Amino acid sequence: MSYLSARGLVRSYGRTPALRGVNVDVEEGEIVAVTGPSGCGKSTLLHCLAGILRPDAGEVSYRGQRIDTLSEGARAALRRTEFGVLFQFGQLVAELTAAENVALPLLLAGTGRREARTAALSWLDRLGVADLADQRPGEMSGGQQQRCAVARSLVTEPRVLFCDEPTGALDSLAGEQVLGHIVRLAREQRTTVVLVTHDVQVAAYGDREIMLRDGAADPTGLGTVAAQR
Amino acid sequence: MSTPHVLLGLLADGPKHGYDLKRAHDLKLPRAKPVAFGQVYATLGRLVRDGLVVPAGQDRDAGPDRTSYELTEEGRNALKEWIAAVEAPMPHLSSVLLAKVVVALLVGDADQAREYLAAQRAAHTVRLRELTGVKTDAAASLSDVIAADFGIAHLDADLRWLQTTLDRVADLHREVTTR
Amino acid sequence: MKPGTLVRLALAGTRSDTVRVALTGLAAGLATLAYLAALTVIAIPTVNGGGRVSPQYRPALIAEAGLRPGVVIVLVLLTVPVLALAGQCALLGAPSRDRRLSAIRLAGASPGQAVAIAATETGLASVLGMIVGVGAYFGGRALLHRPDADGRLPLPTDVLPPVWWIVLVCVGIPVLAMLFAILQLRRVAVTPFGVVRRTRTRAPLPWSGVLIAVGLVITGSVMPLERQLEDESRNSGVLLVVLFVGLACATVGVVAGTGWISYATGWLMHRFGRRPAALLAARRLMADPWNGSRTLAALLACLVFGGGAAGVRSSFATQFAADQESYERSNPESGIIELRDTDFYFGAFNLINVAIALGLVIAAGGLIVAVAESIVSRRRAHAALVATGVPRSTLAKAMLWQSLVPAAAGIVVALAVGAALSQSLFGDEVVQDGFTLAVPVPYGDLVLLGAGAVAAVLAVVGVGLLFLRASTALEELRV
Repeated sequence: MSYLSARGLVRSYGRTPALRGVNVDVEEGEIVAVTGPSGCGKSTLLHCLAGILRPDAGEVSYRGQRIDTLSEGARAALRRTEFGVLFQFGQLVAELTAAENVALPLLLAGTGRREARTAALSWLDRLGVADLADQRPGEMSGGQQQRCAVARSLVTEPRVLFCDEPTGALDSLAGEQVLGHIVRLAREQRTTVVLVTHDVQVAAYGDREIMLRDGAADPTGLGTVAAQR
Repeated sequence: MSTPHVLLGLLADGPKHGYDLKRAHDLKLPRAKPVAFGQVYATLGRLVRDGLVVPAGQDRDAGPDRTSYELTEEGRNALKEWIAAVEAPMPHLSSVLLAKVVVALLVGDADQAREYLAAQRAAHTVRLRELTGVKTDAAASLSDVIAADFGIAHLDADLRWLQTTLDRVADLHREVTTR
Repeated sequence: MKPGTLVRLALAGTRSDTVRVALTGLAAGLATLAYLAALTVIAIPTVNGGGRVSPQYRPALIAEAGLRPGVVIVLVLLTVPVLALAGQCALLGAPSRDRRLSAIRLAGASPGQAVAIAATETGLASVLGMIVGVGAYFGGRALLHRPDADGRLPLPTDVLPPVWWIVLVCVGIPVLAMLFAILQLRRVAVTPFGVVRRTRTRAPLPWSGVLIAVGLVITGSVMPLERQLEDESRNSGVLLVVLFVGLACATVGVVAGTGWISYATGWLMHRFGRRPAALLAARRLMADPWNGSRTLAALLACLVFGGGAAGVRSSFATQFAADQESYERSNPESGIIELRDTDFYFGAFNLINVAIALGLVIAAGGLIVAVAESIVSRRRAHAALVATGVPRSTLAKAMLWQSLVPAAAGIVVALAVGAALSQSLFGDEVVQDGFTLAVPVPYGDLVLLGAGAVAAVLAVVGVGLLFLRASTALEELRV
């Protein structure tokens, strides 16, 4: 059994199907890009894999254990301890400073203030934004905010990092820096990364690509799944 | 081809031997096809003939291939002109890729065209990943990164075109089979 | 922009806006009713000549001409939190309205036009509410016109204010609601890319303490001033103005002081708090310290009045006790007799208490709007936090801290200032015939008021938690 796997995932929003029977396998330490045109269900797949959403049908397992059947509280704990999540934008708390934002997951885990701040500062330093530690998100550029978000998603040293269009709101150089940091740090920590993107240049940072089309995996890239139905 | 002008550019900061020129060329354009010695000497010969370059001296203890060359005033002007001249943006829409798809569709086999496109896309993706790997390598020099960027941008354009064409061919296929 | 276009755009709201429109309409309707009632009381003619009494009414508060201004003032004061609520509803940033306003800006509207559209929406909802209010007024007149056996009426249902007064109210309520809405929207920037809430981040300074002190000094000067100005009839107006200025100073001081209290408590929580919830709440309090002032203003104003009323009641009670004792000393052999109709006074105080309770309920309504607004405006960050595994309970605790800490401090200060106002007005002892009675601080009443206010805030936070649940739904990530 793979490190992280999904079998026959089905999920709809109202009457609109987003996933219709997706199978995915991710091995430990792998960087997997999930690509496909907009509306193909890639974000929904990421949310299901990360235990943010529950699939309507199918199962998700992580290290041999079903996670789709866990309670919301247990899945929240899993996301807090084992997983890191990184979105396109808007995930930092506007009222907290960069260092406090990064320290937040540690504080939630019960780490002391001083210790959490030290860890946060070291992660900000690794992402090259140590000098922004006491600024609030509103005072930073998009690229700087996203680097802080990367620091926050990695500060708990998660085993799996889920990224949903992490550079979608950035220009290409800022995006390249963020991606470079993610890939380098993931390799250092042997973190598994699931990277959702519609951009082939971003997908190329992965070791492997899973193509989705109309809510199903499209292994050949022929784009005929819908056509053949 | 631009090899004469690249050589002129490499001579801009001082006289060099043919051997130095070859090495400098391969260093500065690391991902390009390496230039052959023969081509360097042939090109230098033509540049001397046109008065853009003159032999600047010879190492006493070496053979004829240890001649160093330097730019003439005329050569400097030619270099300046070349750098300033705007390249025509895609004057001819010609590419083996494009030709193959068109021919495959001409033959009337949409499935074959799609299979080719899918295979080509897979190959492009692999190459794209390779070049991205060059960029994320800590040891990469600026020249490496710039060259990789160039390739990535072009592969990206190709891939987008491939995807759009795949979708178009799928539509065409649907039209044909449902009619 | 033509008025027609303005109305068309203001009406563009969808079903998701019904809550805001309903709340705005309700507030406007209540305000209309209160104003019309006040005008009716003003319009009561004093028949029966010299007695300054209108004998056709049963309740003394309405029958006695001397007491009617008090009734009018209470009714008008009640409309202040009501209209503030109507204006505050304009802030209730339903995501769909935010998107709509942004889209209108993107289509080329100026910031002023966007605010005008939002305010017009409030105005139209107020018109609806006003119509319902007027209907309720006339309906109530017909229903409550029930003379008793002596032909006396429970309410002045036999008089109607002049028509142009009614028209003024009908026009004035929507206009006032729109003005309040524009006032509230000052801090909101409608950009083409979304609605941004501006906050003042500068740390407030405790100047409001000075304002409270000034208010206390002014009210303290009312009684000595009265003794100076013997000719009562000419100068009672001046005294009223002085009293009003004193009250206003103290109330504004309390409300503004909440900004400083928010900041100071935020700082303390940040300094000494250990848990993430405390950290979040502390930073939010420090980031927008004026939020507390804005949202708690009506509640605190009610409490200042409430504390003051409790103090005055205590003063009166002491005065009555002193009268009684003085009478008993001079006539030791007579039994216990009632000197005055104290029930009448305490009845009036009870009525004031009802008005204050009503004001608290309305203020709590405004607080719900403010809390819901603050949650909705943070929905993306909240949804992202929940996605990264932050338990909802942590966010809920942060909200509780953030609402309750400045509210609790503000409530204590407001009640203390209210009680102090009444002491500075009537003094802290009654001296009569050579003996002195100290006016007790009405701790019981104050605690009751404070507990009521805290309960209201807790209820509001409870409602807010429901909003929190909805706005952390992970569907928000897809926005």
